[in-house]
Amino acid sequence: MKGFLKNTWKHRAYVVLALPAFLIMLLFAYVPMFGLIIAFKRFNYVDGIFKSPWNFPENFKLLVTSSKTFLNITKNTLMYYLIFTLIGTTLNIILAISIDQFVFKKAGRVMQTIMIIPIFISYAAVQFIVYAFLSSDTGLLNTEILPFFGVDKPIKFYTNAGYWPYILSVVNFWHGVGYGSVLYMSVLAGIDQELYEAAKIDGANKWQQIWNITIPMLIPMITVMLLLSVGGIMRSDTGLFYTVTRNNGLLHPTTQTIDAFVLNALLNNPNYGFTGATTFYQSVVGLVMMLVANGVVRKIAPENALF
Amino acid sequence: MAKDREKMVTTDPDLIRMSKKHKRPGFGQYILFFFLLLYTLFCFMPFLLVVTSAFSKESSIVHNGFRYIPEEWSLDGMSSVLKYGKQLVRSYAVTIFVTVAGTFIGLFVMSMFAYSISRKDFRLRRFLNVFLIIPMLFHGGQLSAYIIFTGVYHLKDNLLILILPICVSTMNVIILRTYIANSIPNELFEAAKIDGAGEYRVFFQITLPLMKPSLAAVGFMMATGYWNDWQNALLYIDSASKKPLQLLLIQIQKTIEFLMNSKDVPASVLEAMGGNLPANAATMATVLVVVGPILIAYPFFQKYFIKGLTVGSVKG
Repeated sequence: MKGFLKNTWKHRAYVVLALPAFLIMLLFAYVPMFGLIIAFKRFNYVDGIFKSPWNFPENFKLLVTSSKTFLNITKNTLMYYLIFTLIGTTLNIILAISIDQFVFKKAGRVMQTIMIIPIFISYAAVQFIVYAFLSSDTGLLNTEILPFFGVDKPIKFYTNAGYWPYILSVVNFWHGVGYGSVLYMSVLAGIDQELYEAAKIDGANKWQQIWNITIPMLIPMITVMLLLSVGGIMRSDTGLFYTVTRNNGLLHPTTQTIDAFVLNALLNNPNYGFTGATTFYQSVVGLVMMLVANGVVRKIAPENALF
Repeated sequence: MAKDREKMVTTDPDLIRMSKKHKRPGFGQYILFFFLLLYTLFCFMPFLLVVTSAFSKESSIVHNGFRYIPEEWSLDGMSSVLKYGKQLVRSYAVTIFVTVAGTFIGLFVMSMFAYSISRKDFRLRRFLNVFLIIPMLFHGGQLSAYIIFTGVYHLKDNLLILILPICVSTMNVIILRTYIANSIPNELFEAAKIDGAGEYRVFFQITLPLMKPSLAAVGFMMATGYWNDWQNALLYIDSASKKPLQLLLIQIQKTIEFLMNSKDVPASVLEAMGGNLPANAATMATVLVVVGPILIAYPFFQKYFIKGLTVGSVKG
């Protein structure tokens, strides 16, 4: 202990350097964690989070009594997480391998530059682009593309919840796949070319090379990325689920996620009990999933575990 | 990256011969070309629609819908963006201020933190590392953050709330830490210390300048995050003088929705709104004005940005 203090004093300059970021994290990441006790309180603004009276377990009973909303937002959150992670990761990898295998390097680089562009368009702007395609009277899809394929009646996308899992998936992939593939490309660029040459001499064709060399080389990166994403399993991008859907009540059955629900509640006088219990459940489940996933990875491939 | 590989190819005579064989691309490469081109168009075409709609005549959009080649071109959309005039200029100023201030503050405090936890002889680093990782695993959620930021810190309608909560992120610190550990030789620090440089001097005059590539990469990602952030603005900002650009976009949409949902808006209200009624072309022109700067800046940063992601990919 004494040695520790001595060491810290000796390196007090490092303490000073670390301090600003430490304080910002403390105030803006850690204090809200303690704020989660709102789930156990009957919150009112006058007393604030920490002095409001206790109210356990009433708030959690609300989750059961309003189970329809609760189950729906949980279902949507998990459904989109699965779609985005499984299909999204696959698309990232396919795109990365395609560009890596592509021999016209200059054209490849130009195309890659364009593919990354969508990530820089905020969802606040993307919603207008989606509208320009899907609006029932002026949308490009309804006025030009669908009639071309013989669909005469315009489809009312904005009043029909059934279409939105597909729409949001396409929008999400459009927005992020080009960007997501960059990470995998950096791994591919690091693969020793001699491996491929050796495989070629042994008579392996392109597909065999990809399957037996490229994919195994990507596994550590895929594991790390999946692990990182598991921590966000209960989270979702409100840009997509609140803004792009225009928080349209008709679409909520298939589009409202936990974060979109909480944002909507915050903007319209929340039921603090229910919302508080929901965010508590969201944070705790996220933590547990992360610990479980990391534990599993540590059992199977310890070198890929996060901690 | 790809460039390095080309360099390798050109220096090794064996590989030159081999790559010459490759220079006659097979049929498969053309199929791949076709699919990549298709995907590139898929990425680009939606953005192109914004550009063409912004320069379409409003009546063309109303009659024929959004088109890549409108019946009539027009600058009306763009000129009605200018009608927002003061608010647009103001919002631009707010967004630029928040982006620049946030990126610089973030880079500054994160690189200091990254440096101090990269020093192996610093025993407090173990605690600081854990402190850094926990927010990635567990978070307080939007509700408690909102109540604490407004009720305890009183940051409602304060520009600081747009800057501080997202200026330190675990991932970015890890990227910077990894860069320091892998790309700056330790001997350099030793030598500087032997030459009598103090701890602060070593950081500000030696480490910080050497961190440039990673700072450019992280900085650009942060700047994009700040430029595109709308949710904090929607939650916390009330006064018109503090509205960033993205909030302007959100509010245009809310206004349209309001007008569509209330068919019996009194004529006087509509009249009062006059030319500011958010029409299709004008909305798209606004989108273009908001998105434009990032898209223009991006190609210049792409080099750093891809390099930075590569560096950060090494697990911390």
